[in-house]
Amino acid sequence: MLLRLPSGLHYPITVTELLKQQNDDVERFAPLFSYSYQTTVTEGDEFGEDRQVQKTFPARYESNVEGVLKAWKINKGTVIAQSVAIAEIEEPCSHNVQFGGMCANCGRDMTQTSYVTEVVDAARAPINMVHDNVALRVSQDEAAAAEDEAKRRLLSAKKLSLVVDLDQTVIQATVDPTVAEWQKDPLNPNYEAVKDVRSFQLKDDGPGGNGMWYYIKLRPGLESFLETMSKLYELHIYTMGTRAYARQITDIIDPKRKIFGNRVLSRSENGSMSAKNLQRLFPVDTKMVVIIDDRGDVWNWIENLIKVTPFDFFIGIGDINASFLPKRPEVPQGASDSVSKPARTVVGGEDSDNRSEPHNNGVGSEQTEDSDQATGSLSQSSVRSTASNASTLDQLVSMSGGDDPSLLQELTHRQDEAIAAQLTDRPLLQKQKELDAEDSISETAAIVADGEGEIPAIPNASTAAERPRHHLLRDDDRELHYLEKALRKVHADFFETHARQVASIQGGRLGQLRPGEKRKQPLHANSDLAVVPDMKVLLPQVKRTVLSGVVIVFSGVKPLHIDLNQFDQAILARNFGAGVEQRINKKTTHVVAGNARTNKAKTAFKRNIKVVSSQWVTDSITQWEKLGEEPYLLKYDGADPLFRNGEDGDDILSDSGDPPSPGSEEDDPSANSRRKRPALSLDINDDDESDIEGVLPSDAMDDKSPIGGGKEDWQEMNDELDVFLAEGDSNDENSDKEALASGTASVDSNKSAKSTKSSISIRGKKRSRPGPEETDSDESESPGKNKKKRGTTLSQTVVAGNKDNGLPTPDITGGEEAKGALEKSNAADERVEDEGGGWSDFDDDLEAEMEKAAKEEQGKG
Amino acid sequence: MFFLQELERVISLHPSFFGPRVKEYLTTKLFDDVEGTCTGQYYIVCVVDAFDISEGRVVPGSGLAEYTIRYRAVVWKPFKGEILDALVTSVNRQGFFADVGPLPVFVSNHLVPSDVKWDPSATPPQYTNNSDQVIEKGTHLRLKLMGTRSDVGSMFAIGSIKEDYLGSLT
Repeated sequence: MLLRLPSGLHYPITVTELLKQQNDDVERFAPLFSYSYQTTVTEGDEFGEDRQVQKTFPARYESNVEGVLKAWKINKGTVIAQSVAIAEIEEPCSHNVQFGGMCANCGRDMTQTSYVTEVVDAARAPINMVHDNVALRVSQDEAAAAEDEAKRRLLSAKKLSLVVDLDQTVIQATVDPTVAEWQKDPLNPNYEAVKDVRSFQLKDDGPGGNGMWYYIKLRPGLESFLETMSKLYELHIYTMGTRAYARQITDIIDPKRKIFGNRVLSRSENGSMSAKNLQRLFPVDTKMVVIIDDRGDVWNWIENLIKVTPFDFFIGIGDINASFLPKRPEVPQGASDSVSKPARTVVGGEDSDNRSEPHNNGVGSEQTEDSDQATGSLSQSSVRSTASNASTLDQLVSMSGGDDPSLLQELTHRQDEAIAAQLTDRPLLQKQKELDAEDSISETAAIVADGEGEIPAIPNASTAAERPRHHLLRDDDRELHYLEKALRKVHADFFETHARQVASIQGGRLGQLRPGEKRKQPLHANSDLAVVPDMKVLLPQVKRTVLSGVVIVFSGVKPLHIDLNQFDQAILARNFGAGVEQRINKKTTHVVAGNARTNKAKTAFKRNIKVVSSQWVTDSITQWEKLGEEPYLLKYDGADPLFRNGEDGDDILSDSGDPPSPGSEEDDPSANSRRKRPALSLDINDDDESDIEGVLPSDAMDDKSPIGGGKEDWQEMNDELDVFLAEGDSNDENSDKEALASGTASVDSNKSAKSTKSSISIRGKKRSRPGPEETDSDESESPGKNKKKRGTTLSQTVVAGNKDNGLPTPDITGGEEAKGALEKSNAADERVEDEGGGWSDFDDDLEAEMEKAAKEEQGKG
Repeated sequence: MFFLQELERVISLHPSFFGPRVKEYLTTKLFDDVEGTCTGQYYIVCVVDAFDISEGRVVPGSGLAEYTIRYRAVVWKPFKGEILDALVTSVNRQGFFADVGPLPVFVSNHLVPSDVKWDPSATPPQYTNNSDQVIEKGTHLRLKLMGTRSDVGSMFAIGSIKEDYLGSLT
């Protein structure tokens, strides 16, 4: 060890004598050399006056380590001005491995300090790398050596390391005693699903300290998955459950300890209470590690992670150990599950809303599950936004306060509460009851609907009669199958890359032997490990091949208030190699739409771009394969009233496709027309906000069927539209004129109120005002000319501000769209232009502006 | 090493327990409180008898009565250099953990005979010299304590099997 001088000496010092010679034994506290230093002191003279005197003092430097002195780095007479290395001392024990504050090799107490102590010996071994013990710590060198050895072993066995999370990744646990009851009752509709649920009792756990029964559902195919994976990977368990819990689970999934051995790390040994850290297991190098977990955030989205879809068998239970993790920020695609799991949709939107709800709220699922199933999409989205807000802060707090005992206590308490709530509330039983109730409703509905013919999303509706009760729990999870495929691919790619790199190195060595070439190759001991590919690089590469070449535009999927860069699905899609763009352009290959009626979807239809549901992205990512778009295609419906009535007016066109906004009565035609009128005048909006319709609808629409609305919907909408058109044709023009006439012509209070509003919006360029009007106006995909006319004059600056820089300007987009929508728009444009003549009531400047724009437009036309 | 030790403990008793069975109650409480605990210096294995229970003294202001109890107990204190039998609890690359009764002992791989090698690919992972010595989870072995350290309420020890007649007991 290189002995350094402490920084607290009276520098500069002059070495006066070396007290130890080379190869001398040095004990602790033994003087190594003597030196002198100068300092000023205050001295009193015989007259009682103080004065400053500079004096030289002798001193000795004592060793704080023991061992054999190997070499001096200083000589007699050397003047030392700062902290430098003075000698090389070989210690008998380097205290590389320490256990409970003792050196594991020499048994010395590492925490002792004395007046010569610079750094406590315990600091020499700071790394905790053993799975099942926190008292054992090792030094950096020791950790590196251990890892190198492990890596060589794995390489020779052609294995990688796989860190496996338990809760919601490979199993799901609940304490709801309903499960036991269902298990005993073969007549229960859920019997099939729960009959293989395993259970165990944990003593001294949970509220009251009594043993609590835990029910464990293994993810389908787990046994074979682990079996196969253990041949390709060395498996580790990393869970946020307690040690006892982890042990019980390991007993269930790996009774012979052949797969995991003792490589189990639980919350009890994890340094942090809220985050998982790969360095805890692999302190030096994580090149050969893959993680599977259902939570990306606890790993801070590390590149080694393969995020799996959470295993949600016990619906509404969530992750039993999640109190220790930051709140789940993601919004799972529960609502869009309908494609792959049609059976779920049978009881209607309400039900699946209800199911996804606890999910959204993550942790305290049981608290919210009953509360707001019917409050509709608005409340859901607000819940979502607050949840995501809370989570960021939560995460920060909990990350920083990892060692805080009061926080730990609070978290434990919270978990206890959650468990107690689960015990008393029995969420599963409640849900089954709800389901039964809904069943009886849907049954009657089915009978009624029989008269009208087909019902959308039939699969189970017809069987409702034979099977009296639907079962709540479904055993149809396929995730592990896909995961296995993905992990195999990663494994194969890794060793392929490795083999290639090894070959190239060997080629280099051969080349080195060739005469004339004297390239120096580093031939140190670690050269074989240096060529190991890094999983952090490799895994993203493998992922990126999945959706490479795909350029996605989201429409009606992303909640409006979330930035595209923070939208989960967009992040995932990017990780998997897809390009994600704000707007449709030439490169766009897929439009991922919440329904077939969004602006972008329509544009896509016109341009023959594939329009798919968001499930396509989700499934492709889950299955690590670019799936065929066929089953997910959203259909362009020729009979769609939207398109059929396109010439009648843009406002109508869009509005019929607009699902009900919260609070508006869709059935009331007058309400419709009220909402619509300002839409025309508000038309200055560009398509920048065309996603606005996506906020609410996606939740409501997705539940119904994979391809937009069912036939019922169309029928309903057609009717409604007819009614509306009958009265709307006459009214509409009037109202338009009124709107443009800035409220001077007062017809009735209602209308004038509306028109005032619209005039405000024209003059003041009020664009940020939320509300149904605006939603409508965005909807109305209004043909480019119209838009251009006003958009360019009035709101261009605003528009430009709103735009992403790299995207086309509104004019261009508008122009393109105009070409496509030329047919539709002509009529409307002419009308607007006609009206342009009667603008005399407008403010002068505004009028001038408008006319100018109109002329421009005509000139172009 | 085991010792018979005379010890003292002060127990406060709630007034609701004052009565003819107070001594019985004190003894039970003593057993509950001290048996199986670790003082940091030694483990109290069992209380033999409580031979002297003082007069109760009511603590001013609270109403609780304080009794000073002198009792004899069997205590166990591990010493550096002591030879002990242990049960292996877990094995890893750095060494293995073994329990000597309540005391966790760590034996570093430096303190394992050089012919006994770490074999991580065996199930379960083990230290072995491929003949008589196999050290895996659950192995009984004899070891020598190289050092002990006490914390508040817990103790740790370092062990060695790198000497004659130490190692797994077959």
